[in-house]
Amino acid sequence: MSPKAVQYRANSIIYFKGDQSDRIFLLNAGRVNLSYVDIETGQEVRDLIKMGEFFGVKSALGHYMREETAIVLQDSTVMVFSVPEFEAVAMKNTRIITKMLAVFSNQLRRIHRQVQNLMVSGDQTNPETGLYQIGEYYLKNKRFGQALYAFKRYLVYYPTGAYATDVTSKIVQAEEFLSRYGSGVPASPAPAAPAAAPGPAMAARPSAATTVAMAAAPAESSEVAQTFYNAVSLVSQEKYLEAYKAFKKILEAGPDPEYTAKAEFEMAKCLFYLKQFDNCIKSFSAIAQKFPKHPELKDALFFVGRSYEEKGDKAKAGNLYKKIISMGPEDDPVVRKVRKALRAVEGAA
Amino acid sequence: MSPAAGGPDLSMFNRFSKMFRKGDIIFCEYEPGDTFYLIQSGRVQVVRIIGDLEKNIAILNPGDYFGEMSILENVPRSATTIALDDVKALEFSRENFEVLTLGNPQIALKLLKGFAQRIYAQKRTFMILTLDDVEAKVADVFLMLAENQALDKTTVDTVEFKNTVDDVAHWAGIPSGQCREVLNHFVAQRRIELYPDRIVVKKIADFERFVNARRKHQEK
Repeated sequence: MSPKAVQYRANSIIYFKGDQSDRIFLLNAGRVNLSYVDIETGQEVRDLIKMGEFFGVKSALGHYMREETAIVLQDSTVMVFSVPEFEAVAMKNTRIITKMLAVFSNQLRRIHRQVQNLMVSGDQTNPETGLYQIGEYYLKNKRFGQALYAFKRYLVYYPTGAYATDVTSKIVQAEEFLSRYGSGVPASPAPAAPAAAPGPAMAARPSAATTVAMAAAPAESSEVAQTFYNAVSLVSQEKYLEAYKAFKKILEAGPDPEYTAKAEFEMAKCLFYLKQFDNCIKSFSAIAQKFPKHPELKDALFFVGRSYEEKGDKAKAGNLYKKIISMGPEDDPVVRKVRKALRAVEGAA
Repeated sequence: MSPAAGGPDLSMFNRFSKMFRKGDIIFCEYEPGDTFYLIQSGRVQVVRIIGDLEKNIAILNPGDYFGEMSILENVPRSATTIALDDVKALEFSRENFEVLTLGNPQIALKLLKGFAQRIYAQKRTFMILTLDDVEAKVADVFLMLAENQALDKTTVDTVEFKNTVDDVAHWAGIPSGQCREVLNHFVAQRRIELYPDRIVVKKIADFERFVNARRKHQEK
């Protein structure tokens, strides 16, 4: 199949507005007019096709009805292409596409702006509030990494904005939670490090570089790392049973220098959220014995204390809380939380 | 990493390559944007937060692109994009966009088709927004949604739309409260059934007659 040259007599119609077709036309000789109603003004517009110009492209490529009627003004020769034939020609001559892209993008920009102007009445969230609300949404839904991204971007664009103070404290809050998973990223091998971006879409915004230091992602994480982070993501979605099973798979896969211990820790935590307090106490106690210098020992003990509290054993909970507080330092976020928990236990006692 | 099967060879664009870890936000709705992305591996989820819900707009696959509106003009991002897997994507600015399209007719063609469809979608939205009757606007949103599902409105009677009041309000360009009032009125007229997660239009052809009549009236 190849494009055909077709003769049209003066006053004939190549296609009508409302027709659906996958034909694309190229004017070789003669005169052809496109007639359509401008949606903005409601006026009829007539565009003369230039020699060597394609027409009927947009509706054929977009699979929708013709928006104009193509009228032959004087005897004409028109090349008729199917979409694949047009694509074959365009692929060999990229200029055709880039030229059309310029035309289409102009049209798109114009109609997009018109639509935006009309939308204002219904959809009037300003970008500053909008960005803040996205951070709020993710924070509320315990999707801390995503909340952090939105809040940090907020501070980049609106460092003195209406929500800046609130956002700053919420960043601390979200970071505190994230820190429980370590950096969230294995520090070891990052083979394709030069290709890895420090964070999304920042190359063109030098001002963002200092304030927004997202945890660098490894270019390729190992399978066990992926399993681990998938499971962590289940935790953040509060799917604790699924998360527990996923962490268990890591243990079953055999010892891993980094993730075995992490997975054990997370499993014990899941047990707490699954309200299996006895098992939670057992698991965390075992971890505390095995790794007396575990970096998250205070967290582990806090979970044990909370489990006792849930079981109604406030005395044991209180003793554990005191022990954690004695481990210091005073301004440690975990210690701060434990102090609050201790006050609550003592208040209730 | 190899390009998507059968896709163009983009190895020369490796310097534009960006990695996103699963769960990373690539960009947020309302952020100013001047870059567009072409996915090389992994999937990207496009979402919008509407009220208290995160609404899934699309899942994009390797070979798909997103963020292209920002190379046209400096408009805030209209949705949030999140890496659904570990994602590798090429990031292009307005400046190097032309280099990409000139060297890659396949991508340029894909963009061209995307633009054609988007122009149509925007024109269709424009038609809704320029109706002066608010009930007609809402009814026309359902007609547009039916067209997107490629439904033949002459043969199909009852149509179920997996959309919420907020969605309809968004497309109709009216506040949510006003949209709910109109929909409640339609419910009272037994023209639609309203559920939290979907809306059922009883006779879509009725809506079409109604909208056409309003449009004709307006043109006079």
